[in-house]
Amino acid sequence: MSTNRWFATGNFYTTYREEQRIFKTHVDRLFFILFLMGLFAWPLFIDASNRNMLVINNILIAVVAVYGLNLVTGFAGLISIGHAAFVGIGAYTLAGTARTIGDSHVLITHCWPLMILVSGVVGAAFGAFVGLPAMRLKHLYLAIATLSFQMIFTWAIQFMTFFNQGQMIAVGRVFWIHGQVGRSDHYRFWYYVILVTAVICGLAVRNLLRTRYGRCLVAVRDNDRAADAMGMHPGLTKVYAFALAGFFAGIAGALHTYMFRGAGFESFTLHHSIIYLAMAIVGGLGTLPGSLLGPVAIQTLELQMEHLSEWAGSFLPASMNLATALRPLGFGLVIVLFLMFEPRGMANWWRICRSYFKLWPFRY
Amino acid sequence: MTYFFQLVVSGVVVGSIYALSALGFVLIYKSSRVLNIAHGQIIAGGAFIVYALTVWAGVPIILSFLASMVITFFLAMSVERVFLRRLIGEPIISVIMVTIGLMSIIDGVIYFTPFGSMNYSFPEFLPSTPISMGGVSISWTQLVGVLITFILIGAFSWFFKRSTIGVSMRAVSDDQLASMSVGISVPKVFGLAWAMAGLSAAAAGGIIGNITGLNFETLRAFGITVFPVVILGGLDSIIGAVVAGIIMGLIQQFAAGYLDGNWGLNGTADVLPYIILLVILLFKPHGLFGTHEIERV
Repeated sequence: MSTNRWFATGNFYTTYREEQRIFKTHVDRLFFILFLMGLFAWPLFIDASNRNMLVINNILIAVVAVYGLNLVTGFAGLISIGHAAFVGIGAYTLAGTARTIGDSHVLITHCWPLMILVSGVVGAAFGAFVGLPAMRLKHLYLAIATLSFQMIFTWAIQFMTFFNQGQMIAVGRVFWIHGQVGRSDHYRFWYYVILVTAVICGLAVRNLLRTRYGRCLVAVRDNDRAADAMGMHPGLTKVYAFALAGFFAGIAGALHTYMFRGAGFESFTLHHSIIYLAMAIVGGLGTLPGSLLGPVAIQTLELQMEHLSEWAGSFLPASMNLATALRPLGFGLVIVLFLMFEPRGMANWWRICRSYFKLWPFRY
Repeated sequence: MTYFFQLVVSGVVVGSIYALSALGFVLIYKSSRVLNIAHGQIIAGGAFIVYALTVWAGVPIILSFLASMVITFFLAMSVERVFLRRLIGEPIISVIMVTIGLMSIIDGVIYFTPFGSMNYSFPEFLPSTPISMGGVSISWTQLVGVLITFILIGAFSWFFKRSTIGVSMRAVSDDQLASMSVGISVPKVFGLAWAMAGLSAAAAGGIIGNITGLNFETLRAFGITVFPVVILGGLDSIIGAVVAGIIMGLIQQFAAGYLDGNWGLNGTADVLPYIILLVILLFKPHGLFGTHEIERV
C-alpha cells in the first residue's frame, strides 16, 4: 500500500497478502467511505417523496437478493431459476410467524433484527435442501431442481390456508429507540436499515470470496475435476453455495416484508426469479460491482417502461395492455442481448472505464 | 370402478399431450444438449396460429393445423439461427439463460396480441356428444387428439430410426466431432432439431387448444410441466418421454380425483409432478430410460 495506484503503470503486487486486500490503497478506502457517507447523508438534504424512497428501497433489497444469486450463479456457476422462491421463504418465515403469534407481538415489532436473521437462516436451510442434488448432479439438473422448487413454493403459498392462500399477511410497525416508527418516517427508516444490511452483506461477500471457501467456489466453477483432485469437495461446495444464496435471499425477503408491512404471493413468482436472473446477468455474473449495477439498471428500465406504457396508453386502444407486454419483452431482450454481446455485463464497462482513466494517456 | 376407469381415460388423454409436448423438448436436448425453457411459449404460439388461421382467416381446420406446423417449423429454425447459433461453443449455462430470455421475449410478443389477455375456444367441428362405454366417456375431440398424438409420435420415431436426416441427428447427439468428420453439418442439425421441436410443439398446441380452450397461462404452463415428464422419462429418450408423459398424466388425474378435497388438500395435481421431480433427481437422476452417462460431480 505504498505507492499511489493511480500513478503506477500497472498492478505490482509483491505478496499474496497484498493481492488479497479488499482495498488496495488508502485512496480506494477514502473513495469507498465517501461513497458510503454520500449514501447515508443524502436523505438529510434532499426531501425525497415516499414514491422515490420506495423505488430506492426496492433496488437495495434487490441488491441483497442478487448478492445471493450472484454467489450461486456467478461464482459457483449453477443456474438458479428459483431465487424469488428463496426470497419468498424469507418473507413468509416472517409473515408466518406474524400469523401465528399476532402481527404486533413483541418478537416482531421489537426484535426485528433477530427476525431478519432468523428468516435468513430458514432461507439457508431451504437453499441447502434444494441444493442437495448438487451432491450428485451438474448444473443442468440443478436448474430444473430450482425451477421445480419455485413451482412447489408458489403452490404451497397459494393453496395452504396457513399462508392465507396467497393473500396479504400483515406485519405490524416496528419500534426503534424513540418509539414506534410512524407512517411518515417508515420509508426513510427502512432505507437506513436496508442500506446498512446491504453494506454489511456486500462486505461479507467480498470477504467470503477471499477466504478458502470463496476460492474453492471459483475453483469448482472453473473445473470441478481439478478442484476434486486438489482435495476440495465439489458437491458440498455447491450445497454451501445454495445455502448462502438462500441466506441472502431470506434476508432480502424479510426486509421486503417489513418494508411493505406484509407479504403477498405475487412478489415471489417465476417472473420475479427471471428478473433476479436478469439483474445478475446485466450487472455481470461473478462480479461484486455487478450485484449493485444490475438491480439499479433493471429497476430503472422497469420504471422507464412503465412511463412509456402510460404515455402510449393515452392513444392506444384500451384492450391492448401495453404494460404487461412491454415488461417481459424488455427483460427478455435485455437478458438475450447482454448474453450475446456483453456476457460480462455492466461490471465490464465499469472495469474498462476504470482502466482507461488509470492508463491514460496510454492505450494499454 | 367406473370412476377409476374414467380417471384412467382422462389420464391417458392428458398424458399423451404431455408426451407430445415433451417430445419437442427432448429433440432439442438430444441433439444440442440445450434445455429449452421457452418450450411452453412455442406450444402456445402454435395453438394461437391454428386458431387465427381457422377462425379469423377461415381456413379449414386440418389445413390450418398443418400450416401452423409449417410456420412454427420455420419460426423455431429462425430462433435458433438468430439467438443460439452464435452461442455454439459458449458455456452451456449461458445458452440456457438465453432460452430463459427467449421465454420472456415470446411472452411479451404474445401479450401484444389479443391472445395474451383473452380466452378463446375453437368452434366445434366434431360431434359434441361424447362416446360412452359402460359409464366411461371420452369426447370426440379428446379421442382425435390422442390419435393424432400417437400418429405423430410414431412418425417421429420412424423419422429417427430410418430417414437419413434422422440418423444424422442421432449421430450428432452421440458424438459431434465424429459426425462432423463424416460430413454432417452440425449447425444445420441443431437448426433442424429446433425446427422439428417447433413443429411438434405446434401440433401439441393445436390439440391442447381444441381440448381445453385457448388460455395463455394454461398453454404456457405445459412448458414447465414438461420438466417433470422429461426427468422421469430420462432427458434424452423419446420412448421415455412418451411413457413418462402418460404416467404423469395418470398421476395428475388420480391426484385430482382421489386426493383433492380429502385431508384439506387442494390443487395437488399442480404440485405432485414437481415433488416427484425432486425425488427422482435425488435418487435416480437419469430417469426411466435416459442414458446413464450423467456426469457425476
